[in-house]
Order: sequence, then C-alpha cells, then structure tokens
Amino acid sequence: MPFIILTFNGILAAAALLNMYSAVAQVRISASIQYTSFLQLYAFVAILEFLLLMFIMPALTTGSISGERERRTLELLFTTKMTPGDIVMGKLFSALSQLLVLVVSSFPMLLLTFVYGSMDFMDLGLLFLCFVVTAVFSGGIGIFASSLMRRSTFSNVCTYGLLLLSVAGTYMVNLFLYNMSQMQINNMVFRLGESRPSANSGAAVYLLLINPMVTFAEILGNQVTGGAEWFSVGRFLEGSPGGFIASHWVLVSLLVQSVLAVCFVRGAIYFLDPERNEKK
Amino acid sequence: MLKIHGLKKKFGNFQALDGLDMEIEEGALYGFVGPNGAGKTTAIKIITGLLRPDEGSIEIGGKDALLYREDVKESFGYVPDEFGMYDNLKVLEYMIFFASCYGYSGLMGRNRCMELLEQVKLSEKADFFVDSLSRGMKQRLCLARALIHDPEFLVLDEPTSGMDPRTRMEFKEMLRELCAEGKTILVSSHILSELSQMCTDIGIIDAGKIVLSGNMAEILQKVNNSNPLLIKVCGNQEEAIRLLRENICVTTISIREENIAVRFCGDKKAEAELLRSLVSAGIPVNGFIREQGDLESIFMQITNHDMERVVLNGEE
Repeated sequence: MPFIILTFNGILAAAALLNMYSAVAQVRISASIQYTSFLQLYAFVAILEFLLLMFIMPALTTGSISGERERRTLELLFTTKMTPGDIVMGKLFSALSQLLVLVVSSFPMLLLTFVYGSMDFMDLGLLFLCFVVTAVFSGGIGIFASSLMRRSTFSNVCTYGLLLLSVAGTYMVNLFLYNMSQMQINNMVFRLGESRPSANSGAAVYLLLINPMVTFAEILGNQVTGGAEWFSVGRFLEGSPGGFIASHWVLVSLLVQSVLAVCFVRGAIYFLDPERNEKK
Repeated sequence: MLKIHGLKKKFGNFQALDGLDMEIEEGALYGFVGPNGAGKTTAIKIITGLLRPDEGSIEIGGKDALLYREDVKESFGYVPDEFGMYDNLKVLEYMIFFASCYGYSGLMGRNRCMELLEQVKLSEKADFFVDSLSRGMKQRLCLARALIHDPEFLVLDEPTSGMDPRTRMEFKEMLRELCAEGKTILVSSHILSELSQMCTDIGIIDAGKIVLSGNMAEILQKVNNSNPLLIKVCGNQEEAIRLLRENICVTTISIREENIAVRFCGDKKAEAELLRSLVSAGIPVNGFIREQGDLESIFMQITNHDMERVVLNGEE
C-alpha cells in the first residue's frame, strides 16, 4: 500500500509541477497568469480520483465474499463470533479505507488551487462527500453481487453490469428521450412570434439521480467553469418545471445514492445469512 | 455436551436427515461414521449453525443451539472437511486474524496463537506462508485455529482424509491429548480402524438416522460375543466335531481352513467348560479363540445387512 500511495501521488505531483511550470513560463512570455490552468489541474486530479473510486472500488469488493466462498473460508468465519453484518461491513470498510487513503493523501494536490483563491473548503468538502458516497455506492454494488453470486466471475459480471446500468444506462435513456423530444420539436410548425419549447427527457431525468457520474459532473461543473458540461444534467432538465430536486440536484442525488448503497449493503447481509443458504 | 433430538432436514426431494437422535457425554471422543450421503456433513453443519434444520432440537452445553446460535458459537470449534486457507497470509497472521474474529487482539491474541502453534507443533513454521504448508500441517493449523477461543467442544469433519499414516497417527495423538484435557470431540471419518483405536464412543448414521451408538468397548464386546469360536485341533478333527455337536450351546459348526468355526451362545464359563471337555477327551487343542470383531465389520453389517443389525441390537 505505501508503494501504491507513493506512485499515485508521485504521478499527481509530477502533473502538478508541470502544470505550474507551464503557467510560470507563460507569465514570462505574456506577463499574464492563466488561473484556469490551476483549475484544470484541480479537475484533472478530481476526475482521476473519481474514476479510481468508481471503477476500482467495485473490483475490490466484488470478489470479497464470493472469494471467501471459493476458498472455503466463509464457513469458518460463520463459526466465529462474526455475524453476516460484521463480515459485509468489514469487507466494505477494508476496501473503502484502502481507496480513501489514496484520495485523502492526494488532497494537498487539490489544495494547490487554494493558492489562487478560486476554491474554498466547502468546495473541497462537497467533492470529498461525493467521493465517499460514490465509493460506498459502487462498493455496495460490488459487495451485493459478491454475496448474491457463488462465483467471483459471475459476481464481476453482475457488478460491472449494474454499474454500467446506473452510469451509461440511465444516461443513454435520457439521451434517447431527449433526441426524440428534439425531433418532435423540429417537426412542429410554429406561428410567428410563438416561442419554441425546449427539448427535454421528461420524467426520465430523475433516473440520473442514481448516476454518480452525473452528480460528480454537476459538482465539478459548478466548481470549474466549463468543466464536464458534456455530462451535465442541465440539458435534460431544460424546459422542465424547476422543482426542489432540480434546484438541489447534487444533494438529492447524493442522498438517493446513499440510500441505494444502504439497500445494497442490507441486501448483501441478507443473502449472506447462512440460515438463508439452505444448499448442502 | 451435545444432545440432538428428532433432527430432520430435506434438500428438495432428498431426505438428508430423518429424525436424527444423538447424545455425546462430556469428555467423550465420539466417532461419527456412516456411508457417503448418510447425512454426516449435514448433521455437522446443523450442529455448527451453518444450516438450519426443518425439525428437531439441538443442545450444546445445555443451551438451545437453534435459539441461541450466537451464544453457543463460543462453546465449539469447527474443523471442516475442506479447510479454508488464506494463501497470502503467513501462519501466525492467519492465526491472529481468526483470534481477532473471536475478540482476542494485541499481545494477548499473539501469545494465545503462539501457544497453540506450539501445541500443534507448528511454532517453527509461524513465519511461513500458509500456502507452503503440507496437507498435514494445514490440518494441524486448522485444529489450532479451532482451539483459539478454548472451546469445550470440537467438531471435526473427516480431519484425517488425505493424510499419510504417520501424520494421521500424530493427529490422532493430538486428539487424544485434547480429550485428556477434558474437551469433548466429535470426529467423523471413513477410516474406521482409526476411529476404533481412538474413540471412546461411536455413532453410526445411515439414511439420516443413527442406527447404532454407544460406548466403543461395549459395542465391540457385543459384536465379539456374536462372532464364532475358532477351534484348532491337531488331527482327530471328526472326534472334536462329534464332541462339539453334543454341546447344547453350539448352534452351528463349519470348517474354515484349519479351524473349526463354532457359533456358540454360551458365556465365558461355558466356553471354558467346552475347552475342558475337548482336552479331557484327549483331543490336542492348540487354538481356542473368539473371532475378533472390528468397527469395519460392524459398519458393513449395519449398513448392508438388516438381519445382522437385529442381532447386534440384541433384538432377537
């Protein structure tokens, strides 16, 4: 683990130094400083860490229970004082702690943006909250599949299938409905002076509440101007009546994902209970 | 220590346990035998809380094991037939991990683990990876793991399968020592000769029911009494047979190589009387012994021949 932390932070530090070097070099030439380059560094580190949590966390948890089954060590754990809840939470927190150590150790790199006053602790706190929720959500999916499936291979397929459904699936549904709506509007005939309605994906937009990538894109988009607009929920909401959810999208989506994560963990505990597994 | 009553368990259409009754006294080394598919592993899994029965009751150390599953975990240690290992852990790390599962941590846990590794003669291998251990060593490590929380009752499922004779002997010795320390041990095995040498009590399971159980010595004695007397005489065999036919305790006579096999229903005194009558008739007897029964023959009789079962149970 120390070696991984050193390598990970070494790469980030090298990227940060190169970024600072190019900013300073530009000052020498043009006598003006590009503050946005520091924000780009912030976005780069944040995206890297987010992807790490989103896709490595399930990899750590998806084989945790099924692997115990395959090694025949799960029965041994059941005969100790540990309950299925202890086992699931232990596995989840073990994976979570490994990745969060990486994330927290790289925070000094994110703090470089503080030098130019473009960020504050609230921004960083919100980003960290998003990281934790994403880690628990994707880790929860992994541990649920691991508890449900007897073999690690099936568990892997199930985990990344569910993750793909929550990220790409929800986005594709919205994109499809948005394009359909756009097509309908294009085929409409408007009177002179009548305003064209905006295309939107209707109620399907709320599916994006379970998409951690959209939540992250919203946070980053708000913090870094022009950041990750391609994945923003805004375009699908255009023309929709702006309610509480639309105006508090980030917090609501974090809450929904947290609730889902709890459901996945509870499900994992339920399927792990030996009294439920009545196969000889 | 263990009381099981009317245990039933069905998997689909297959009745794995069909009213299993079993009792193990404190301090006993109980051999649990039966043919494949008789229900041994199912019974063991129910005892250890890994399966729930459809019907019946289990008491471990006076506590209802089905009602207080978490509480009774303290009182038993389990060694499964296929022992699970974390190959990326060293022997001591493996032990410390399981010690922490029982709430032993820090120096106390470490000392307890070292003490147990010493007991199973693995202290020199403490820094070796579990993966590098031989099968016998892994099984000893598994036994040490089962002893971490100092349970009163040990459940071992086929612990010596796949071991060489020397390792089996050492393992058997270890179980005897644990039994002498006051632990109650339930051990299932297919190596019947081994069980008969080691166990104080035995239970034979067939089709999900206990068909014979009790003290090992008593059972062997019962079988021996139903076995024939083997009499070897030097010449004059016809005269010996004539004399034997006259004895009212003799039921059948047959010739087995050089021996005369006699089914004899008398007691020890009657046996001595028979020998005296042969010798006083001038027949040179140089062999007079009751054929010895073993666990294997009991097992075969019980699980194959219903008639013999009746004889064994004394239900003639």
